[in-house]
Amino acid sequence: MFDLDISDETIAVVSLCRALGMDVLSPSAKAAEGASAVPDDVRRALFETGLTTPVDEKFGGGGCPSTQTRFAAVEALAYGDPGLAMAAVWSGGAASIIGAVGTTQQQEALLPAFATDVHAHGALALFEGFGRAPSESATTITKSADGWAIKGVKVAVAGAATADPMVVVGTDPVDGRLRLAVVRTGQPGVSAVAATGHIGLDAAKLSTVTFDCTVADDAILGGLDANQDSTLLAISHNRLMSAAAILGTAQRAIDYASKYATERIAFGKPISAFQGVSFLLADASIRIAAARVEVIDAANRVDVRATGGLEARTTEAVNYAGAVATQATRDAIQVLGGHGFITDHPVELWYRSAAALASIDFDPLCSSFEPSL
Amino acid sequence: MSAMFDLSPELLKHGQAIKDWSTTEVRPYAREADTRHAPPDNWRDILDLCTVAITRHDRRDVPPPPHFADGKWIRELHVTESICYGDIWVNDVVGQGIGHLTVKLMGTAEQIERWYRPIVEKGGVAAFGLTEPHFGSDTSMVSTTATRDGDTWVINGTKMYCSGGSNADYVVIFANVDKSLGPAGIKAFVVPKGTPGYIVAKKNEEKLGIRAWQTSELLFQDCAIPLDFQLGWRGDDGMDAIGAKDQPSTRSGRGGALGALAQNKPNISAMGLGIAQASIDMTSEILHSQRLGFTPRRWSVIQEDLARMNSALDRIRRVNYGAQWLLDRGMPNKSEASVSKAFGPPTFEKIIRRCMMLLGPDGTSNDLLLEKWYRDSKILDIFEGSAQVQRIIIGRTLMGADAGRG
Repeated sequence: MFDLDISDETIAVVSLCRALGMDVLSPSAKAAEGASAVPDDVRRALFETGLTTPVDEKFGGGGCPSTQTRFAAVEALAYGDPGLAMAAVWSGGAASIIGAVGTTQQQEALLPAFATDVHAHGALALFEGFGRAPSESATTITKSADGWAIKGVKVAVAGAATADPMVVVGTDPVDGRLRLAVVRTGQPGVSAVAATGHIGLDAAKLSTVTFDCTVADDAILGGLDANQDSTLLAISHNRLMSAAAILGTAQRAIDYASKYATERIAFGKPISAFQGVSFLLADASIRIAAARVEVIDAANRVDVRATGGLEARTTEAVNYAGAVATQATRDAIQVLGGHGFITDHPVELWYRSAAALASIDFDPLCSSFEPSL
Repeated sequence: MSAMFDLSPELLKHGQAIKDWSTTEVRPYAREADTRHAPPDNWRDILDLCTVAITRHDRRDVPPPPHFADGKWIRELHVTESICYGDIWVNDVVGQGIGHLTVKLMGTAEQIERWYRPIVEKGGVAAFGLTEPHFGSDTSMVSTTATRDGDTWVINGTKMYCSGGSNADYVVIFANVDKSLGPAGIKAFVVPKGTPGYIVAKKNEEKLGIRAWQTSELLFQDCAIPLDFQLGWRGDDGMDAIGAKDQPSTRSGRGGALGALAQNKPNISAMGLGIAQASIDMTSEILHSQRLGFTPRRWSVIQEDLARMNSALDRIRRVNYGAQWLLDRGMPNKSEASVSKAFGPPTFEKIIRRCMMLLGPDGTSNDLLLEKWYRDSKILDIFEGSAQVQRIIIGRTLMGADAGRG
């Protein structure tokens, strides 16, 4: 049955996150980028929502919202600022996946800190570039004589230098299945290069991490027989959060440019009166609408544990959202003209953030280059 | 004779020398220029290293750029692309602005002799001030005023986004001499550096890209200049010059302004060709070094992508050369220049964006210049007329003055 009814819980979450995004994240965005760090008051405000680092009630957290609810939360937060929203969401990535896949012992050992300590942050070492989907990870997690050997290179790992723990996504070359390994701070054989700016996500401190290490049996998340469906679902859940953020960014850029277009006068009328302007924004809005329902559909499939074709759907949804948002943010600058190109207006930041987010989980098979005309 | 699209071997060789210099000497300073919002302090030394003659507004003792059978404007396109291939920061320090082009279009013979010839023959910078905080595309909204006071014009107002406004020999600004005349009262004036009341309110804006370019905000406060610093001034009574209806359109205030902009439009596209081509080449090289990381299917899609990007750039070059070929023959190219300005820039952004994405998260990292070029590229579809404004001009060529009014 087709049903787009939104739960009361989601409505409340959106309202909270939209307010937080506009009142707390948005005003802090510029300073956070300059300092390459999440300001403490922002960190605390996000932590208190329980939405960026979800932890089950039994470990002292606020509970784990559904993928759809969390999509709505992250989209609303990113409407305020995508860099700060994703810095928080990524720092909660480990908690989210431990909650979904970990054994009870692993959860008891690792999750309570995330529920109580505002500075606790983990990382999910998921992406590798090369257009690889998670199941194509070249990082291997292999049984060895003294535990499990992790070998590989992960990119765009947020806060890698200080994250505890890091959850590494890899494939087991013996049976081809996805495995998740828990790596603690100070683990020998793990080296993170210094974080570099990524055009607009500096506060998230993204860096490349090389793994050539061995961990004990109990570091394999969910145990040796970890539920494969849960693993796939948890990974898709986390990938969809970037899509949520990029669509929130695109929507904000279009809303901002639309307001500007109604106020800026040229040729005797607001520039919104010109189709060259209004159709540009309308087209962006049409694409955002389509991308949103695609991501929400994928999120719903995670929630109902429909794993069939889920990875490919997630890839498609994330990549379309990226294509839509990079174009929408450039169109928003276009509408502001010269004013869009200077930092007096935030659209230039959204242009950069969207480009960074869209490059992280990019697969060249989802689209091809087309000139503008 | 059939159409030919090849540049002369001499011009190609000239361009290659500039491209080599730009890659080895200019590009290493790209990150620094972006970070400090200014060209490197040793930019003059960097220009000295170029093995062929390029425009030097900072030195009077070097030969001017050579002539080629291809024509001056064609040469400029190829040289601009080659200069920007290393990085776009350097274009601002070799660039001379467009103020002198306005003088040539609108000035009297004496004014051309006084302000145009020295710039093209001996070097120098001539800035251009049209845009104000409250308008850009609609140039009829000029609110800066020029008030007649005896033997002087007294200028008051604010000009924004003036490239080179802080270091130019003079700036050509547009001001209204009589607001009761509406846009017809808008005239152009030469304001030399050092004129009292010519104030650099902000040396450089905080920008998304081309951060090293000096994009100034200028303030004119009771800035007095002689009467014959109004372009097109014919030495008769000031009021006649203001109200004259018999002036040809190129002599009227805005016609001249837009004419100067039109000539330069394909050069804007040439800047983008430089950084877009550099992006493709750099991305291609990195990808080849990482080839084994890709599945055969993805590798094949990527190769097709890169080939399509190169074809797109060649298509843009043909359009640009076609527009400036007309100019080299003294023919009008208003519509062709607009086609050129509308056609290239949005595609440069898409190419650079795609290049970043093909490299994955590394593509947007500050360790590479792609993210910088993606930021730089955005201005190309804005300054000197957005693609939206170009469409109005092209539409009016096709359908008359009512096209694009709503």
